Amino acid sequence: MPDNEPSVLQRLDAAGRWVENLFLVGLLAAMMLLSVAQIIAREFFNTGFFWAGEFIRILVLWLAMVGAVAACRENRHIRVDAISHLLSEPVVRIARVVVDVFAAAVCAVIAWHSWRYLQEEIAYEDVVLVDTPAWVAHIVVPVAFALMSYRFVIGAGQSVVQLRAGKEGQDA
Amino acid sequence: MIVAVALLVLAILGAPLFTVIASSAMIGLRSEDADLMSFALNFLEIASMDFLVAIPLFTFAGYLLSESNAPQRLVRMTGSLLGWMPGGLAVVALAACAFFTAFTGGSGVTIIALGAILYPALQHDGYADRFNLGLVTSSGSLGLLFAPSLPIILYGVVSEVPIDKLFLAGILPGTLMLCMLAGYSMWINRGIRKPLSSFSGSEIWAALKESAWEIPLPFVVLGGIYSGFLVVSEAAAITALYVFVVEVLVHREIPFRELTGIVRSSMVLVGGILIILGVSIVSTDYMIGAGIPQLLLEWVSTLVSSQTSFLLLLLLFLLVLGAILDIFSAIVLVVPLILPIAAGFDVHPVHLGIVFLAAMELGYLTPPVGLNLFISSYRFEQPILHVYSATFPFLMILLLSVILIAFWPGLSLWLVPT
Repeated sequence: MPDNEPSVLQRLDAAGRWVENLFLVGLLAAMMLLSVAQIIAREFFNTGFFWAGEFIRILVLWLAMVGAVAACRENRHIRVDAISHLLSEPVVRIARVVVDVFAAAVCAVIAWHSWRYLQEEIAYEDVVLVDTPAWVAHIVVPVAFALMSYRFVIGAGQSVVQLRAGKEGQDA
Repeated sequence: MIVAVALLVLAILGAPLFTVIASSAMIGLRSEDADLMSFALNFLEIASMDFLVAIPLFTFAGYLLSESNAPQRLVRMTGSLLGWMPGGLAVVALAACAFFTAFTGGSGVTIIALGAILYPALQHDGYADRFNLGLVTSSGSLGLLFAPSLPIILYGVVSEVPIDKLFLAGILPGTLMLCMLAGYSMWINRGIRKPLSSFSGSEIWAALKESAWEIPLPFVVLGGIYSGFLVVSEAAAITALYVFVVEVLVHREIPFRELTGIVRSSMVLVGGILIILGVSIVSTDYMIGAGIPQLLLEWVSTLVSSQTSFLLLLLLFLLVLGAILDIFSAIVLVVPLILPIAAGFDVHPVHLGIVFLAAMELGYLTPPVGLNLFISSYRFEQPILHVYSATFPFLMILLLSVILIAFWPGLSLWLVPT
């Protein structure tokens, strides 16, 4: 089915990639410049930003989560890659569907429980960086796990489509 | 038990490792009627680890270096300094790869960036094809023991051993590995008397001048850290900014439009490592709460009684582990469990770290999942079985060096201030 109009999913995909890149570049640049600024302030002006250390650690959390979401899209999460070189193409694809469904379920459960944890943080008015509500810094965790769950569902769907395409190719 | 087998099968079928670790932790927590909200609480510990920021920054710097022409300059410089030896090019290849891997952290970048230059050059100089393939494949992870490689930093973060001590401890064992491979290469190629180049002052000067911007790098990292001027995370920030300025603004070898892609692919690797770290913290906390390290120590004590036999058992375990797991996952998953056991046998945590990393370095070269084997097979278009057999002699030499490193703690601890 040749179709030049990008589908909704494809547009969503491109937009998602764009947003990920924006976050990754922004977070990395921020942690690099803030760290260097911190050294300059300390060595030359004998001062420092007392909040910088904690802020950089939060940036690391965000970078880790956004990077993990991007790794789903690129299919570059670390796996024990033992069977893909040994078994035939269709078998590997079936295994892929199974593990992607499993991964989607695990991520969904984590997303749900970290969302609940966030509600607790809101209820107890936890703060980071002196007076920022903690949920602002931590919201990336449930959101990223939810997105990863979504990516794994899409991945499983793509494997099913390829499997069926492969079968039809054999039948013809 | 059934659950454990099911998770193992899922892992072997290729489930992302972080999902396997996370689900085993959640099942463990549920079996103790804990609220799974505690999962989120413990996971957030990755936002409270002090030196973790060094990992994205060094990774980015390494990716930038490998995308620029720094690999060519590095080969030229090492060639001018070491090329006069018999088997010179092989020695150059080893030294350049070790140096480069220290900065890029054993993610396979070395084989792609440097192997592409060295492999054809070795062929051109008449070295045997099998030898070249084995050499390039095994040097892809050589240098993991040299600062500021990512696995050392990760080990420091996880074990809470000071990273600057680990950097010092890695120098001699890393040099031993390098020298043993260099010695083997010279012996094998003793027929090829032809040196790569004669010792030439003007060529050295030209090569040094060409690399003038990159030469300060190791001094920034190591000098900054050992002088106490910088902590590891600060050295990482300066390295990343410095490499960015040199390769993008001074040499202009990386156009701005390619930067997003480089940031993305390096941070995808970082995300993949850090999410495993996060879920491993949860699973480790659960296991420590359940007293599993204690049980393991008791069990190991029934098997071995002396430090020597413990180290032997540890080596065997690490070699098997390295054949199955990648180095990053192995560090975050296993180190917290074996630290108390090693302490029970009076193994110094710094020495344990070096043994752990050296043994895992072999994991890059052991079938079935050795990363370097696949990268090499893919990059040089050689059948995987051919790569296995070509790498085998190098693997044996490295195994010998790992045994030496394990049973000679002084080698690791010599340079470390007590």
